[in-house]
Amino acid sequence: MKRLWLVVPLVLVVIASACSTSSNGASVTASGSVTGQVNLTMWMGYTPPPPVNQSQEYLSIVDMVNRFEAAHPNIHIDLQYVNSDNALQKSTVALQGGKQPDISYQYGTNMPQLATAPKLVDLTQRVQDPSFDWNDFFEGERAVATVDGRVLGIPALVDNLAIVYNKDLFAKAAVPTPTPDWTWDDVRAAAKATTDPANKVFGLVFPADASETMVWQFEAMLWEAGGDILNADSTQAAFNSPAGVRAATMLQQMQQDGSLYLDFHPDSGAYTNLFNSGKIGMLITGPWDLSAFPDVNYGVVQMPSFDPGGSHITIAGPDNWVIFDNGADRVEASWEFLQFMASPENVLKDSLATSHLPTRASVEQMPGFSAFDKAYPGVGVFAQNLANVTKARPQVTQYPEVSSFLGLALVSILQGQASPQDALNQAADQANGVLAVPT
Amino acid sequence: MATRGASVRRVMTSDHAVGWAFASPAVLLIIVFGLIPIVWSALLSFQKTNLLSPAHWVGLANYRALPKDPYFEQSMVHSAIYTVLFVPFSVAGGLLTAIALNRPVRGIRIYRTAVFVPVVVSTIATVIIFLWVFDPNFGLANWLLGKVGLGPFAFFTSSNGALYSIVAMTVWGWIGFNVIVYLAALQGIPRELVEAAEIDGAGTLGIFRNVTLPLLGPVTLFLVVWSSINALQLFDEVYLATNGGPGTATYVPVFYLYKLAFQQAEAGYAAAIAYVLFAVILVLTVVQLLVGRRMVHYSG
Repeated sequence: MKRLWLVVPLVLVVIASACSTSSNGASVTASGSVTGQVNLTMWMGYTPPPPVNQSQEYLSIVDMVNRFEAAHPNIHIDLQYVNSDNALQKSTVALQGGKQPDISYQYGTNMPQLATAPKLVDLTQRVQDPSFDWNDFFEGERAVATVDGRVLGIPALVDNLAIVYNKDLFAKAAVPTPTPDWTWDDVRAAAKATTDPANKVFGLVFPADASETMVWQFEAMLWEAGGDILNADSTQAAFNSPAGVRAATMLQQMQQDGSLYLDFHPDSGAYTNLFNSGKIGMLITGPWDLSAFPDVNYGVVQMPSFDPGGSHITIAGPDNWVIFDNGADRVEASWEFLQFMASPENVLKDSLATSHLPTRASVEQMPGFSAFDKAYPGVGVFAQNLANVTKARPQVTQYPEVSSFLGLALVSILQGQASPQDALNQAADQANGVLAVPT
Repeated sequence: MATRGASVRRVMTSDHAVGWAFASPAVLLIIVFGLIPIVWSALLSFQKTNLLSPAHWVGLANYRALPKDPYFEQSMVHSAIYTVLFVPFSVAGGLLTAIALNRPVRGIRIYRTAVFVPVVVSTIATVIIFLWVFDPNFGLANWLLGKVGLGPFAFFTSSNGALYSIVAMTVWGWIGFNVIVYLAALQGIPRELVEAAEIDGAGTLGIFRNVTLPLLGPVTLFLVVWSSINALQLFDEVYLATNGGPGTATYVPVFYLYKLAFQQAEAGYAAAIAYVLFAVILVLTVVQLLVGRRMVHYSG
């Protein structure tokens, strides 16, 4: 009941707008290179600087900045920690006061909102430079960096969903080891077999908080069933199609089987403890969770298809680096640094140091890459799984609302309050309502 | 006849100016953190804006959309149910606890402290404790209820039970404040009034009904008004414990407007909800004060 903090960001906007920005004396030559001293501010969400624990991700980025500054003595980069969950909110406030950073880390789902900000730099022309090799980035990443045909970000991190399972629980229940060609019926059978109510063991954990964490797992299933979230021009909901009903019915059936552990707080990470203590047979997750399972003999397998031989498409949550306009010289210097960070050599270096999946396809063919799966067991499956990332969530500003309606529909299905068709139809009506409003 | 200069000098040197000088830091804080956001959100409520791109003026469209919004209606209904339960339970419960703690028992200070501790514990700690106790599969509550053959209950994860679980958690968390206020009031009741009633032959219950309760009137009115305002502004506990769920089972107005403004980029519509909520609280408070003024007498 203490709500002052809701007011504080708004007030900061007002205070920030009273301040003004200043520019330094650097300039850009006709060839596009920067002369004079340029100081850049870069927001990133990896662990804050010492004395807080320094993660491998933070150290890797510091290493890149140091090497870049050594090669470009006139450019200085000031790294600032901004929790990625708040990056959109903070950018919004900073843009109101003209205090935006030069480079910022942003979730892919923030892109349609950011695209409405006049100070966000359009990178479309720049990525077309053959030396940058834009098409080397995976299709799903490029789709998320692009809004209405404009490239507005450079992939910073990519992940995807696959199924992680407890090998010991599978063996105990005599469930055959999953193979890449498995189906959702196999998952359902495996979930049922590994469930043990007496010992509170559940076959599959599924989020039930109506959040994007829940919705994107369902969206992978929807695509596997051959459906889509919105229609081709993103004007109408399409998730209440027969494919959508099929995917939702699969979840409903597993819930009725008693095989699902409905996780109402996936954000708390409690499910990782349950999996780690052998209470969960399978979970749908990404490479970021693997380091949380030291006590489990686990395996990783790609998402199942609905029909034998069908699609094993998965969903990715690529994050981007974006550039905000603080004058031509700083934009140019920022682009120099993004090119440096996104070069295949540095992407490989970063992957090996941090367990991040490579953002570029060519990195997987580089000689040094074989060390990757050895260093991080199971991560190789996620790297290969990037080939199954062929779609992105709709790049429209209304997506968060559409996702919220869909999430609520899925909760009502899992709680047995509505049939899959009725719940999805209702959510589709609501989604069509917000999609009809011009932005 | 004083000249203009003299009157200015008099104002500058008067107690008045000194008073304002002392108050100025607080006044400045109230303007920056109170007044400006209030005016700004009023303007926002007539706009369609995501705070990133230039806003459009939409007149009363945000307010017109409210009656057609099922989630807004649900949040108002939930808020009403919550307030109707939270206020009596925390006020009456606070009074009973205060009476129990207003006796010379060995170790009374320990009991009083124990009752007040939940008030000073941060909301997040309270919520984490309750999530653990109320966990449907591994929680303490279901384990204990199971011992006496009840349950299992889903608590926060049940569409029907989540709101009541929030009521239980917040009554536990806030009752200590009411207890302390009532304790102070009980100890302020003049001893001679109680003695006079005893001499007149009143029993314990009679003294409570005819002496104690009327004298607690002003405090009770304050607690009812204060708890109602707090109840209608419920946010933290919902945000942390259920995130509005399962589904929309614990949507309340402040939670819904937070979701709209910061997750769905509908800042203008969210501001309109804030203003409607403000109007509801204002009307309710005025009614409570008018009714209360008739029932409460302030003479001791």
